[in-house]
Amino acid sequence: MASTTFEAAPAAVRHRARSPWREALRRFLRKRAAVACLVFLLIVYFAGLLAPWVAPYDFRAQDLDNAGQGPSLSHPLGTDRLGRDIFSRIIWGARTAAIVSIAAVVTGSLVLGMVLGSLAGYFGRWVDTIIMRIGDIFLAFPGLLLVIFIAATLKPRALALAVAVEDSLGVRGIVASGLVDYFVVFGALALFGWVGMARLVRGQMLALKEAQFVEAARALGAGPGRIVFRHMLPNAMGPIIVIVSMAMGGTVTSEVVLSWLGIGIQPPNPSWGTMLWENQGMLRSNPHLLLVPAAVVASVIFAFNILGDGLNDALNPRAR
Amino acid sequence: MLAYILRRLLWVPVVLLVVTFVTFGLGVYGPGDPITLRLGQHANPEVAARLRHELGLDQPFVVQYREYLSGVVHGDLGESLVYRGRPVSALIFPKIWVSMQLGLLATAIAVGAGVPLGLMAALRQGTWKDTSIVSGALSLYIMPAFILAPILLYLFAFRLHWVPAAGWGGLVDKRIILPALVLGLPGIAGITRLMRASTLEVIGQDYVRTARAKGLLPRRINYVHIGRNAILPVVTVVGLSLATLVEGAFITETIFGIPGVGRLAVESLFARDYPVIMALTLLVAAGYVFVNLAVDIAYGVLDPRIRYR
Amino acid sequence: MLRSRLALIIVALVGVLALLFVVLAVGLVAGLGSKGSPGPAPGETPSDPAATGNGVPSGPSSGELRILGADPPTMDPHLAGDVDSATYIVEIFSGLVTLDRDLKVVPDIAESWQTTDGVTWTFQLRPGVRFHNNKVVTAQDFKFSFERACDPRTASTTAHTYLGDIVGCTDKLNGVAREVRGVQVVDDATLRLVIDAPKVYFIEKLTYPTAFVLDEANVRSGSAWTLRPNGTGPFKLQEWRPGERLILQRNDAYYRGPAKLERVRFILSGGSSITMYENNEIDVSGVGLTDIDRALDPANPLNRELINAPELSVGYIGFNTTKPPFDDLKVRQAFNYAVDKRKIVSVVLKDLVEPAAGILPPGLPGYSKDIKGLEFDAARAKQLLAESKYGSAQGLGRVVITIPGTGTALPPTSEAIIQQWKDNLGVTVEIQQVEFATFLQDLNRGIFQAFEIGWVADYPDPQNFLDLLFHSGSLENRSYFSDPEVDRILDQARVEKNETARLALYRQAEQLIVDKAPWLPLWHGRGYILVKPYVRGWYIAPLVVPFFKDISIEK
Repeated sequence: MASTTFEAAPAAVRHRARSPWREALRRFLRKRAAVACLVFLLIVYFAGLLAPWVAPYDFRAQDLDNAGQGPSLSHPLGTDRLGRDIFSRIIWGARTAAIVSIAAVVTGSLVLGMVLGSLAGYFGRWVDTIIMRIGDIFLAFPGLLLVIFIAATLKPRALALAVAVEDSLGVRGIVASGLVDYFVVFGALALFGWVGMARLVRGQMLALKEAQFVEAARALGAGPGRIVFRHMLPNAMGPIIVIVSMAMGGTVTSEVVLSWLGIGIQPPNPSWGTMLWENQGMLRSNPHLLLVPAAVVASVIFAFNILGDGLNDALNPRAR
Repeated sequence: MLAYILRRLLWVPVVLLVVTFVTFGLGVYGPGDPITLRLGQHANPEVAARLRHELGLDQPFVVQYREYLSGVVHGDLGESLVYRGRPVSALIFPKIWVSMQLGLLATAIAVGAGVPLGLMAALRQGTWKDTSIVSGALSLYIMPAFILAPILLYLFAFRLHWVPAAGWGGLVDKRIILPALVLGLPGIAGITRLMRASTLEVIGQDYVRTARAKGLLPRRINYVHIGRNAILPVVTVVGLSLATLVEGAFITETIFGIPGVGRLAVESLFARDYPVIMALTLLVAAGYVFVNLAVDIAYGVLDPRIRYR
Repeated sequence: MLRSRLALIIVALVGVLALLFVVLAVGLVAGLGSKGSPGPAPGETPSDPAATGNGVPSGPSSGELRILGADPPTMDPHLAGDVDSATYIVEIFSGLVTLDRDLKVVPDIAESWQTTDGVTWTFQLRPGVRFHNNKVVTAQDFKFSFERACDPRTASTTAHTYLGDIVGCTDKLNGVAREVRGVQVVDDATLRLVIDAPKVYFIEKLTYPTAFVLDEANVRSGSAWTLRPNGTGPFKLQEWRPGERLILQRNDAYYRGPAKLERVRFILSGGSSITMYENNEIDVSGVGLTDIDRALDPANPLNRELINAPELSVGYIGFNTTKPPFDDLKVRQAFNYAVDKRKIVSVVLKDLVEPAAGILPPGLPGYSKDIKGLEFDAARAKQLLAESKYGSAQGLGRVVITIPGTGTALPPTSEAIIQQWKDNLGVTVEIQQVEFATFLQDLNRGIFQAFEIGWVADYPDPQNFLDLLFHSGSLENRSYFSDPEVDRILDQARVEKNETARLALYRQAEQLIVDKAPWLPLWHGRGYILVKPYVRGWYIAPLVVPFFKDISIEK
């Protein structure tokens, strides 16, 4: 897709002022919109993760006699073509979005991206060259296409594997819970998610490497691990947090797109993308079937962006 | 410097080799294949084997890959397995051209609206105008194509009859308007933000203060000095993003029935049309590598703070 | 600061220059690439004065029909195995025989044919049949065409199915023979075909494009010959811009009388068909599930323009009869009785399709209303499950149904079926949706327990359904159903020459198959089409048959 990406402005080297984090928190709390978005997102994510206990109905429970109804007391957002409760499916969809986005961002951006970026930035030379060139190769792929291909073709194999594992261990429920779907989708997303983060962290490391406090630490005999994790990464945390919040929003969108294409989370496991896809074309007959998930997706992406802006203003004050 | 450029250039074939090798391998070893697809439910192992042989798909992977590479080196991208008898190049270039026209117009919309909005927001920083511009632009950004498109279609094609519902007639045709909007509107948010940030940075610099001190009118300061300088990062980012136009925008293309390359890419993927997939992968990768290289070199030439080893 | 700004300027310039270069290069190559199809830059096309490329067309020009079409993968009749390609090919090319509206085999280029033993078929060619370039069609052209279709270098996917009965065809396909012995030129106007066994339905296979006649000079004119096909059909290919439009122009010299329409314009770019129809951009449109309510509403003006007719298809759930738990007849029957198709069809599919009792779709020769299906009966389903060797829902073990597709047809129905199995049998069936290419591969390997898919007639004969899908020796038999009684009846039907007796045999086989339940037959498709009132003679053809010749536009 021809979309434009914008990297957060690199943070300048900051001196360790007194409690910069408290300072940042104070600045962030002044942004009411960003705080409101954070609260909203927390509600969505927690509702999603707690879906089995929060949702009023089972997302699969069909009621063909009450299919395609508008909002009512028993179904606050109405029912879909199979008579399933839309409100419950939205909450279960939030579970999918939450699991996939957290998993993909944690593994892709945070773990892979931060470790590889730190290595490249700190050690430089051939380590840097190799990591960054590998990153180049990943970026050179038509990413979305490859994700589609992997998600579409890998899943049947992964499912077969999971079935075999379940049968040999005599357990049930891994396949039925849709975990394999989650795993394949976030795996595919994480595979391409790390490069941006690695580049950012590397840039920060390059800039911080020459900073006085790093040289001081080195002079005092600290090892590379300690220098990177105790001294450098905390100083690069501002931009990292901003990128993570943006990446979460981006991953939610990607999950929705993949499911919309029918290669993300498979029915009956709910995803907002699946709901949008199932009901496309219903704009004229049953608009709420399309508009409800659309509004939810839009609000979540909106909230992540406002939150990202707020964090950016609070954590990287020089970038304003 | 020269050594650096040479080293980077040497990397180019390596990147392309890895990318094509992995894609080819995924195609050959991944599940599903074009012959089975073509035979559909009339699966006949004999017929399948014969077809595989005729199309050279029964060769060992390395042989197939080597033959593909030697074809590419000689400028032959092969023949489509789905559109029988049609060279890949005749298939993809017209479609890339279509996607590019659409992408350019979308970019023009994003830049045309985003730059003045961003400038205005920055110059009114902190006021309600700033807030409403930024959040207004953002609300466009959050509209994924598959939500925005049906709404626009319903309004402008069906209710108002201003434009046909779908189809393609090139850059000078009404039918390009809606898809370009669907692609371009979300971009407005990005450009607005970038322009706003870079304007704010310019405002803080010495020469603006000097201009003010010289007694130039505020309006002139705003639009000539600040605008001209602040737009540069926008141009850079847009320039870079244009490299991605080759990939097309397949959701928009699918909804509006535009014969672009994004749609072709996804269809080829599901049809296991290896030669087409390979050609597109190669093009995208090459485009990315070269634009990236050009940018790095340009920065290196001009900014002595960046050291190359 | 100055330096970094300069850097930005340069980067910007480099970016813009690189872009310009790429745009120019692509534009240039695109221009060269599209040389094959007539017409210069996008927009206007001089060769097509009626082009309504710009703006909303106000209405149809007289004699031009506008409909949505799909890009054909190929225009080569011998290669086409898909509906999209066949749609155009049957209008541009033709063969010995064809199907009429009632799916009866009727003479086409062959004026008449005789067979005494069902093995040797002699065709008398119609005098004065010409290719579009005015060359006369002879029996030699047919010999060339059949042999080309069976040439391994042609790599046809359909030759084996449609021409494989002809003596020597498979030898040629396997590269062990240079000619096809069973195709014999008696004289310029007489062709003889010899097949390997008496088969009444063989003549139906000759209606398929694989058996169409091609002009040797045309085929030898280079690999792009399909862009300028020299056919024999009622229409010529006038223009084909992939992804944009395909225009068929009337062949005034057509041997069965020229078409009434001057031109058929296929809009290939896709989009929302019904919206385009309501906008008067096209004259005919299919109606999908999402709009059927409006079209069926008598108060809606669309309702008067709606027609519908059965399609020769059946959607079904296939059970792998060699894998537990569906290796037990009673389990299969229980899974049949447990599903209330009527309810699903009316609620989820809004009666857009017909619930299936048996295998054969209505409209197909041999279809019978008297086939007794395994109608919804929850109590009986439970009882059968209890009687089965697995004894109970728990005893079945894991049950997985695989459905194909990335956003293909109507998955809510699969979910509804799963739910009914759960409600009425207490069995939790897992669904796996698999991308189509992978699905086919796994289907051929026979690794599914159960799968949902459909079958559409290749030619209108019960043999195409029952023999192909249920004979134990058939490659298409993916439920691995094997029943000696059914095999015996099917074998007998293959060689039965009396049509009534033959169809009776198939009816007998069908009822046996339904009772043995290798399938859960779901529904038969039905086409719903909107047709503008000024379009005359439109009908819903259940198969791809030459079609546009008899349609006219009268305003």
